Amino acid sequence: MGNNKDLLLVHSAMERVTLVESVNVMLTPQFYTLKKEALPVKYAYQAKKIAPSLFEGLLEEGGNYNYMVSKEEDTWAFIAYDIESITAFLETKGITAEKVSKIFFAQQAVNSFTAPLALNEKEALVVLDDIVVVVPRMALGNEEEPSLIFDNGFTPKSGVSLQGSSSSVLTQKQALWLAAVFMLFAGMFVVEGSRYGGNNASAGVELESLYESYPALQSSYTRQGIVDKYRTIDTNERKKRDAIKAFSGMIFKGVTLTSLHADDKGFQAQFSCASANVAKRVKELAKKAHYNTAKVKDSSDLRIEGTL
Amino acid sequence: MSWKRYQNELIVLGAFVVMLGAYAYKHNQGTSQVQEVQRVQSSLGELKEVIALKKIWADKKTTKKVASLQTLIPASKVKWSKKSKKVTATYTGLSSNELNKLITKILNLPVEVRLLDIKKTGSTYNVEFKCKW
Repeated sequence: MGNNKDLLLVHSAMERVTLVESVNVMLTPQFYTLKKEALPVKYAYQAKKIAPSLFEGLLEEGGNYNYMVSKEEDTWAFIAYDIESITAFLETKGITAEKVSKIFFAQQAVNSFTAPLALNEKEALVVLDDIVVVVPRMALGNEEEPSLIFDNGFTPKSGVSLQGSSSSVLTQKQALWLAAVFMLFAGMFVVEGSRYGGNNASAGVELESLYESYPALQSSYTRQGIVDKYRTIDTNERKKRDAIKAFSGMIFKGVTLTSLHADDKGFQAQFSCASANVAKRVKELAKKAHYNTAKVKDSSDLRIEGTL
Repeated sequence: MSWKRYQNELIVLGAFVVMLGAYAYKHNQGTSQVQEVQRVQSSLGELKEVIALKKIWADKKTTKKVASLQTLIPASKVKWSKKSKKVTATYTGLSSNELNKLITKILNLPVEVRLLDIKKTGSTYNVEFKCKW
């Protein structure tokens, strides 16, 4: 992983660099604290949970530490590192967060340090008891001259992504929380949306049941044809009947029906009234029913008519 | 890579877009359901209206009911003619009570009144009635 990028060895006395492309970074023990422990745990996440307690008293106070855990033969190797101070140091050396692809620790490549590796004129990296450490070069024997050349072959399989870069408004934790909330809402919307389909079942069932009883009415054209035909009949016939009922209501003492005519176009009735007062009352009733009235010439008779 | 600088924002943005998509899905489902409900309700209303109208105006018992108009009044006063689903009847010399009875009956029959003509002659009434169903 990350082998396609250049691997840069970072130590406290390094020179400032100018980067064009992003690189992988390998940190010397100056930037992390290593501890090896034989623990009765099976999985790395279990070991990672107890990592903070293992480093109690070993780390500088006030640091914001993260932990990397790896399994060795019989022991667990714990690396504690302060990503913020590492990021700050890298920036002082011209390595901005966006130029860092992955961060690795020298301890991860312990097997690659087959000989001392010179960091500068005074310091070198060596392996002592399977631990990569920084030692003064003067402490090395004559036969231990730093001869190792650092290259991309030192790149371990897994590394750490540089989180919380200065350009990011959100921390990863905040981002994941927000994403979780949005996804929760998304799930609720999907569930709610999928439930919409079932709410109209009762009307659908009633419709299907009616279709089964009246298969000829399944076509909306057929239904519309029947509706148009019978709705006209229904409206006209109701009007005729209402008119006849209204005329019946106009027959009282002093009023006699002399004729009534109803056909497809309209209706007309003529009443013989005993007096002008009676005629007036009949006329009022006719107007109330919105019918036209006309007085028959030379009599107190009244003609009432209407159209369909 | 430059996108890594905004990795956190991209995660949030991605989730937000998914949420928007889900909301759009819910909204579409809701809209289509409303349309479907309206369609079903409209079909149901239309169907019920058709059934109700047919029940009234295409009743198979109407022929039998119309026949009662002939027997309602003494046969001597009735001239009856029936062809298929059309009736022409002439009633003469009806008393007020007989007229009332006949008109009430006609009003309650589910037939199309083609003609109803009532004329008072002296103290009696003559009625001409044409209908179809």
